[in-house]
Amino acid sequence: MSSESSLFSHRWLPALLLAPLLLLIVLFFYVPVFQAFYWSFFLEQPFGGGSEFVGLQNFQRVLSDAEFWAATGRTVIFMLTASALAVVVPLMLAIAADRKIGMSYPARNILVWPKGIAGASIGVVFAFIFNPFVGLMGPLNALFPGLWNPGIDGTDAFITLVAAHVWSGIPFNFVILLAGLRSIPPTMYQAAAMDGAGPWRRIFDVQLPLIMPQLFLTFVLEFTESITSVFALIDTITGGGPGGSTTLLVYKIYVDGFRGFDLSGASTQTAILMVFVLLLAACQFYFLGRRINYER
Amino acid sequence: MVENARSINIAASILLAIGILYIVGPLYLTLSTASQSYEYMLRNGLAWVPGTELFANMGKVIHDTRIPIQMLNSMIVAFSNALATCILSFLSAYAIVYFRIRWAGVAFALILATIMLPLDIRVITTYQVASNIFSPLNAVLDFTGLNSLIEMMFGAPIQLELSVLDTHFGLIAPLVAHGTGTFLFRQFFLTLPKDLFKAARMDGAGPLRFLIDILLPLARTSFASLFVLTFLSGWTQYLWPLVGASTPDMQTAVVGLARLVPDADGQVPDFPMIMAGAVLVSLVPLTMIALLQRFLVQGLVLSEK
Repeated sequence: MSSESSLFSHRWLPALLLAPLLLLIVLFFYVPVFQAFYWSFFLEQPFGGGSEFVGLQNFQRVLSDAEFWAATGRTVIFMLTASALAVVVPLMLAIAADRKIGMSYPARNILVWPKGIAGASIGVVFAFIFNPFVGLMGPLNALFPGLWNPGIDGTDAFITLVAAHVWSGIPFNFVILLAGLRSIPPTMYQAAAMDGAGPWRRIFDVQLPLIMPQLFLTFVLEFTESITSVFALIDTITGGGPGGSTTLLVYKIYVDGFRGFDLSGASTQTAILMVFVLLLAACQFYFLGRRINYER
Repeated sequence: MVENARSINIAASILLAIGILYIVGPLYLTLSTASQSYEYMLRNGLAWVPGTELFANMGKVIHDTRIPIQMLNSMIVAFSNALATCILSFLSAYAIVYFRIRWAGVAFALILATIMLPLDIRVITTYQVASNIFSPLNAVLDFTGLNSLIEMMFGAPIQLELSVLDTHFGLIAPLVAHGTGTFLFRQFFLTLPKDLFKAARMDGAGPLRFLIDILLPLARTSFASLFVLTFLSGWTQYLWPLVGASTPDMQTAVVGLARLVPDADGQVPDFPMIMAGAVLVSLVPLTMIALLQRFLVQGLVLSEK
């Protein structure tokens, strides 16, 4: 046996070790992904009623549906507003918590708590807190009727969704960004201070440039996250309403597929959403990744 | 470094105070409302001060709803998800890093790609697969013509059928089919010194002995981090348990909590009772965060390095 070989050689053991996870991944990831694309070319009858190849008809139907475009538009708006806030708010908090001040210790502990609260749970809570009659805005609504009503006003409902999404997203982004800030060597600050950069100035000239990798990562993950995890919030806070004003794509797919039994339509939209998510990630890597300096 | 940083420290303190208020505020209002009576809530809206009805409201949740058994389901799902993810990811990362296999890169790419498309996006077709986990096999047999051959020889084609909907396995398996754990362990293995492996080989350790006696003890912290992370993720899942289980007794607590809110408008729902349910459902994961926060933070950082 040669001692310089730095790897095991074995015929079937590695395959055996990988088999369970790969089997689950093929079954519950690749097959569903493939099937979504496959079904988007077929007209599927619910409950195994057979299927018929229809070429691009499903895409034609979905793409000419005004509801689909409206849901896509709302998804993009939500993605831009909610994920921007869900990164910028934790970023400010992380910069603040990185300073050696009394508040930063409780903050580092408490800001992680939302990680343990399910999106649907906080959805139920926010639905109550923002309830127009018994919630936070109840007294104000009594004084100025119609000031706040997420049940009627789509914008109010949308704001509630964004607030809940940012709340849920704080722990992950905060932890990642704080870890990035803490890995900046103190000599960097000292050098900047010698050059006359005060603490405010150093935020923009030292801290932000040096945590670009973490910032980039949180944006990439947050975009996907805001598209998918919003389902729990929509289902518990607004139910897609009022008047469909908070029906985002992920919710529309669920309603079309599980309530309307339109498997072909839902699969086609799933396929489109998947391509969208993958393209988004690819674009971000291509455009943002190139401009980031990973050197320390 | 001594410098005058008063203005920024004051600003930072105010910012952190607002942040803490934003996080704790809804939690406090949940708890205080959960401790008031329905009549109090009808009169005053949400409660700013805690009352005395917390245990009465929790009792209502425990006796009148399916939340207790659903919490048991959540426990089973979260725990099994965490355990299965830890074990399977550990084994697959081990195979990828420590074995001379030509397809290691392909296997890792296949596993890692799962991070790109979350379960919530592919829920429609995952549901179809779960309703008959042999459907891919049947399709392959049909497609390759093997089934017509079998039909000629035995008189009937193979059409296996097994639904995992409404089972704990069905709730758990799609969650385990995820690449984060493998990624985390692979990163950890790559940080270990190469000499460790050589020394073990020289002492005559085979693949299994190296795995159990050397890697396993070293990876304890990574295990703990991944366990906490996947436990919380399993507990807080919503869309998959919502469609993967149709009977109340198989649903998870988070789904059950969402179902406590009546769909129809009209009477004001019993918010104190619902908030008491929210408290109950969040108790386990929050306790876990309080006790194992170190591992959670580490897991979050490691999983994305």
